[in-house]
Amino acid sequence: MFEITISIISGALICGGLVFFLGAAVGLVRFPDFYTRMHSAGKGDTLSTIMILLGIALYQFHDLFREAHSLEEFFEHFKIELLVAIKVTAISVLIMLTSPTSTHALMEAGYDDGMEPFTCEDEDADENQNGKESAGQ
Amino acid sequence: MKGLALFAVAFTGALLLYATGDFPDWGSLDSPANGGELSTHYIKEVRKETEVPNIVTAVLADYRGFDTMFETVVVFVAGIAIIAVLRDFGNGSRGYPPALANNLPEEPDLIVTQTCNLVIPVLQIFALYVLAHGHHSPGGGFQGGVMLGASYILIALANGVEAAMKILSERKILLMAATGILIYSGTGLVCLLLGENFLDYHVLSRILPTDPIMARSHAMLFVETGVAFTVTAVMFSIYANLATRGTLKGGL
Repeated sequence: MFEITISIISGALICGGLVFFLGAAVGLVRFPDFYTRMHSAGKGDTLSTIMILLGIALYQFHDLFREAHSLEEFFEHFKIELLVAIKVTAISVLIMLTSPTSTHALMEAGYDDGMEPFTCEDEDADENQNGKESAGQ
Repeated sequence: MKGLALFAVAFTGALLLYATGDFPDWGSLDSPANGGELSTHYIKEVRKETEVPNIVTAVLADYRGFDTMFETVVVFVAGIAIIAVLRDFGNGSRGYPPALANNLPEEPDLIVTQTCNLVIPVLQIFALYVLAHGHHSPGGGFQGGVMLGASYILIALANGVEAAMKILSERKILLMAATGILIYSGTGLVCLLLGENFLDYHVLSRILPTDPIMARSHAMLFVETGVAFTVTAVMFSIYANLATRGTLKGGL
């Protein structure tokens, strides 16, 4: 029972992470300018990586109540699994720190380099153009 | 000329393709890598002979110590060559075009600097762990050295090359790179002075408080430390010279 519960929770976390990854990828392709694309990549990437890593960390414990002949053996299993889980969690903390920072640094580099953000006027212009094109057709 | 080059490429390629016919099959037990006397010896005897669980490290730093020593020398020479080619000693002929130099931001970004301050100590400790734990898990001098070098590159990225150069000046870089090779070849030389072959570590048990088997294990740590010194210095030197076009001022 324990094994199934852990598997379901960690599977849900990993699948949720994949959904956010898909969102980030779609945003990267579909958003109109540099800044919104970076926004989607930075946000989606960070959350999805953290979710997947947490799912993996949780999955380490799925076999915790396997046949243990003594309490000591049980704690031996638990120690090994806990160590791996802590390492995976440490990776997710590192990503939580570094990924938004790198997104920020890229954004700033783009701003310093004179990238024009996408504004309402751009949107109006786009719509007008599309309107003309469809009218022409 | 192009035809000649094409002929040379095609000829070499054909030769290589012809030679692949002589390769052993995938996973074949008779291939030298799987069935050879040497690899069998490594797999069976490494634990007994050196007390090192990680066969890769044992082969790299002990059985093929000569190879690794000159690999380190190659890294050192590459660093020297980069400095020789790119380094610009002041007349500005190879430096930044003036427009780009004026375009640099005056102040390092707060968020990036703070995050780097958080990450760099962890990164450096982890690099030392990778270096020292190479006997038991994947890692060793090259990997640990690259991570240490990356931590200095991170300082340079966040605060500018000049700030990083205050911590690790060019003088220190050259000293460090040479010290690494000195540590490596010095370990070999000590073995020679104690009356054994160059890089034959087991004889170090006479000066280390251990038995001959553990002496091999410990000597691997020494040479890996030497490798890490050289790799760290050269990594940072290559970045600093490439990013500033040899002026070591300003930066990306």
